[in-house]
Amino acid sequence: MIEDDIYRASSQYRLWSYTEPSLQFLRATTNAVASERVRAALHRSRETHQSTASSAAGTPLPESNTDTKNKDVECLTPEEELVLVRYYCEKTLELGETYKPPIPTMVRATAIQYLRRFYLTNSPMTYHPKSIMACALFVATKTDNYYISLRQFADGIPGDTKTEDVIAPEFLLMQGLRFTFDVRHPFRGLEGGVMELQAIAEGQGQPAPHLPYETAEDLQQGLLSIAPPPVPSSSMSDRIARAHGTTRELLKSAAQMTDAYFLYTPSQIWFSAFLLADRPLAEFLLDVKLGGPVTATIPAPETDENGLVNPLYEIRFKLHHVLTECSALLQSYTPLSSDPAQMKSLKRIAKKLYHCQNPEKVNLAATKRESTQPSSAVQSDTGIVNSESETERLAKKRKLEQGQAVRQDDDVFGPELVTQRTK
Amino acid sequence: MALSPFGSRSPSMTVHSPNTAIRLRATAAQNSITGPAAAAVAKPVQNGDRELTEQLNIDIRERYVKDKKVGEGTYAVVYVGHLRHDPSSLVAIKKIKVNAEYKDGLAMDAVREVKYLQELKHPNVIALHDVFSSKDQNLSLVLEFLPGGDLEMLIKDSDIHYGVADIKAWMGMLARGVWWCHENFVLHRDIKPNNLLIASDGEVKLADFGLARSFADPLFNMTHQVITRWYRPPELLYGARQYSGAVDVWSMGMVFAELLLRVPFVAGNTDLDQTSKICEAFGTPTEENWPGVSKLPYYIPTDKAHLVPLQGRDFFMRQFPTAGPVGADLLMSMCALDPRKRSTAVQCLRHNWWTIEPRPTKNEDLPRKSGGTKKMGDDLTRRVGELDEGMFNSAARQLDFGMK
Amino acid sequence: MATDAASRRDEDEVCPVCKSSRYLNPDMRFLINPECYHKMCESCVDRIFSSGPANCPVAGCRKTLRKNRFRKQTFEDIGVEREVDIRRRVMHILNRREEEFDSKRAYDDFLEQREDIIANLVSRIDVAKTEAQLQKYAADNMQSIRTNQAIEAEEASSFQARMTLEQEEARLRRQAVRQEYETERREIQAGREDFLSRLASGSSTDAAAIAREGHKVLLKKSSARRSEEERIRQKQAALRSETKRGSTLSTVDHGGAADTGLVKGLRKIKTPEPEKPYDPFMGYVPDKRDYYTLQSYYPSQYLDPIRNDARMLAGGYDLREYYSRTLLEAFAGLSCFVGEEISQRDAANITKSTATEGAAIAAENENTA
Repeated sequence: MIEDDIYRASSQYRLWSYTEPSLQFLRATTNAVASERVRAALHRSRETHQSTASSAAGTPLPESNTDTKNKDVECLTPEEELVLVRYYCEKTLELGETYKPPIPTMVRATAIQYLRRFYLTNSPMTYHPKSIMACALFVATKTDNYYISLRQFADGIPGDTKTEDVIAPEFLLMQGLRFTFDVRHPFRGLEGGVMELQAIAEGQGQPAPHLPYETAEDLQQGLLSIAPPPVPSSSMSDRIARAHGTTRELLKSAAQMTDAYFLYTPSQIWFSAFLLADRPLAEFLLDVKLGGPVTATIPAPETDENGLVNPLYEIRFKLHHVLTECSALLQSYTPLSSDPAQMKSLKRIAKKLYHCQNPEKVNLAATKRESTQPSSAVQSDTGIVNSESETERLAKKRKLEQGQAVRQDDDVFGPELVTQRTK
Repeated sequence: MALSPFGSRSPSMTVHSPNTAIRLRATAAQNSITGPAAAAVAKPVQNGDRELTEQLNIDIRERYVKDKKVGEGTYAVVYVGHLRHDPSSLVAIKKIKVNAEYKDGLAMDAVREVKYLQELKHPNVIALHDVFSSKDQNLSLVLEFLPGGDLEMLIKDSDIHYGVADIKAWMGMLARGVWWCHENFVLHRDIKPNNLLIASDGEVKLADFGLARSFADPLFNMTHQVITRWYRPPELLYGARQYSGAVDVWSMGMVFAELLLRVPFVAGNTDLDQTSKICEAFGTPTEENWPGVSKLPYYIPTDKAHLVPLQGRDFFMRQFPTAGPVGADLLMSMCALDPRKRSTAVQCLRHNWWTIEPRPTKNEDLPRKSGGTKKMGDDLTRRVGELDEGMFNSAARQLDFGMK
Repeated sequence: MATDAASRRDEDEVCPVCKSSRYLNPDMRFLINPECYHKMCESCVDRIFSSGPANCPVAGCRKTLRKNRFRKQTFEDIGVEREVDIRRRVMHILNRREEEFDSKRAYDDFLEQREDIIANLVSRIDVAKTEAQLQKYAADNMQSIRTNQAIEAEEASSFQARMTLEQEEARLRRQAVRQEYETERREIQAGREDFLSRLASGSSTDAAAIAREGHKVLLKKSSARRSEEERIRQKQAALRSETKRGSTLSTVDHGGAADTGLVKGLRKIKTPEPEKPYDPFMGYVPDKRDYYTLQSYYPSQYLDPIRNDARMLAGGYDLREYYSRTLLEAFAGLSCFVGEEISQRDAANITKSTATEGAAIAAENENTA
């Protein structure tokens, strides 16, 4: 189908589509790399702390207590990381709501997908989602034509957030996004589907190009004779509007918070949500486009007398399974904040993260400031509490990094790297 | 690009190659703080000392070698480079400078350029091969190398002679590029001769997507402060906040006229001057010839005495005799004042001018000029919406990105 | 050095097989066989191989040799002799010509590859594999090898012919000049005699007329000669162009085969196509859709205000653009089965390296160059 090839050209398909196993593998790899780095960094920090303990009068860090000193740090699992990211995705939705006027759904959804994409190759242990979240939303306002000035944006965040905290991880985020900013959402597709249904309901529908014999009346009759809706409605257009609203809510929440975007295409996502909202209505539209109906009881596409499988029927059959899977994924979602059990586990994860946060990546704003435009102001409230000694240690480290950064400044590609891969 | 999902590459990424830079830094830190003993402790770290995401970026960065600088502006530096493993594969590397005055992170034009070029793949749109970042947080775009200069260069060079068949070939390529953008729901919003770069095989490529955006959904506003003045359509001069692909078609018409005349057709000194020059040339917009025009924010009614009647077909035929009657008809359809009456890009391409004689010149026979590499450097470093003439450079355009 | 040279000379003078020396047998001739390059005297060759193939008599060499392959050594150094033989054989097979390649670079790559093969065979690296490659190539490209050999032979002979022709021309020219000089001298001589005798016999008033007449005869003769020269020149030119045309014809019609396994970058055979009408869309079909038929109007309460908003319409905002986008997005990717397609792509990618992309760019540049 031509429309499918158009989607295949998008960066979302080319770079951000996965099979379930490949997604799992990627997350596990990211987690393993980050865990190793966190352990090493904490180890270094402990060594440093010990050797400077005599001069630094700060209170000891929890992880440098003698009894935990020789034990390896317990790192987050990939599953725990995912829960954490999901929580901050929900927070992004809320953050967008606090602006006046609220940031459009599409922009917020883009920000959420940025977060999800970023954390495929980055770990919350390295970069705390709290510091990435605001930046993701800000970048989304830039990429989705809803630009708000950074000052205005920072002012809109509840609490005292400085502009440089918002912007500090921008480059990091963009790199994690592999510099692809376009996100294909299911929202506009839903509008298109609803417009088609409305047109059919009003007798103005036109058949798909491969079904030229169907008339507007056939289509309208077909629509009016479908099974009744889950919730009774006064008219067909009322029914369509209701299904539209329910689907939209699913797309704003469940579709954003699950792996739907990685595993399915936007049109499959909205159809899956639509099936949950009003199954007969969604199936009618699929039947009109691809032929049907298809039910779970029919096992596989039959070959006709010429031994040929009707290609449309084959698609419809495969689609039936894919949409069922996707619907199940969307249905499995319950917001963290509304579920006490999940909230409890989230708190445990957050506490765990406090101990396994990579200390060298905590203060992004300061690092960025020093690597691009050195300034004397010290800024350190990106989400984690720094003890005095840690701040001091970071300051020393930054000083060193600054020297490093200056040396690298004169080359576009950074310093020449000798890659020695162990093969 | 289509064949590199990093899921598939990940097996190789589980092997972590030591990053010299990071190792250097780590060693330096250890040496000065805790002495050589700590360096030994830090050793096992080095194997895992690179985030997956950094690794990906480095993989891309190492694929290219930059050879020499070909242009530098306030906004970007452009280099000619090549693929590390194949010195004959030339690319242009546009390194976007961090703008110290712009505190809001990566500049909007860079954001737009990257966003849209990542999605648009067409023979008449400049190809973006890769994007990577360097250590100093600069963004580098690896673009198709286009050494043939731009259309402006050909128009201005009086030593170059070209005819209607050449214009037809160039316009065809331009129209296809614009059509492809619109087909993908992207408005270019800065079409002009020096954004039309020429490849070594003569193909014209639409470049500079720094002002591009996707079509606005209903009820969303867009800025009217786009498109370089001489190529800006009347609806934008009148401050329209909702518009369509017709804005690019107007610019296309202006390029067509300029190719025919070899001077910009309507070259105003100010926005106001531009509006009045358009009125003089094509006629005064009124409620009769453009229903609703008086509702546009910056519309200024003209008193009856100074009304210029809407120009008809004979005007275009008289003004542009080289285009021939059919060519003049196409030009006229691109220059309709009322954007709803203007041809769309697809309608332009369906015009019968393309199929009548003379046939468009083959790419290899098109007039060309040397010195294009430098021109590409200059074209890619210019800020969006700028004219080459120094006259307008001082007046920094204030972009209005607000939605409401 | 001196002793070395002396010993070599001694060695040269004694047949390593029968130990007979040139000192005793001044007519002795040494022969070699390119199978093993072991040297022996003519009488040994006759003795050992006359009754059919036999093993090389040199200790440790078990190569089967045939009498007809024995020949005189050309180079003093047997290593050089062997390399020249190998080179001749390889170049006989890998005889692609520059005009068969897409680019100078592809041709250079081919030359380099050929040198590698020769080097391998000379220094006995991967001999079996290289030989196999060579044999396979020879079998696959028999036609092209033959054609190119024929072209080479023709070129060599036509070069020879040209040389002879040029020499012959020069000789003819010299002869003609000499002849001309002779004739002229003779005619002048004769004219003068005639003139004198006529003057002696006739009256003095006729003197001027007689002189004019004599001159006229001379002119006539030289113009006749000039036209004869012209005729010869034209004939020669025609001859030259004929030989040239002959050789170009044969290079063109052999037609480069598609890339063979061993040699890359060969020019594809181009058959001139009739020019198709200009397609402004260059192959794309605009507005073609498979799932839906785009309508110019869709009922929607949400869109109704826009349909009536004069300002929005005056700005050119076009709901049809919105319809086309929403409808496309409603169905784009509906039958892209990501799970299936991505795992296929991943599987394909494992075999490919990341260089694929680079190669694509390179190919692109190649095309535009």
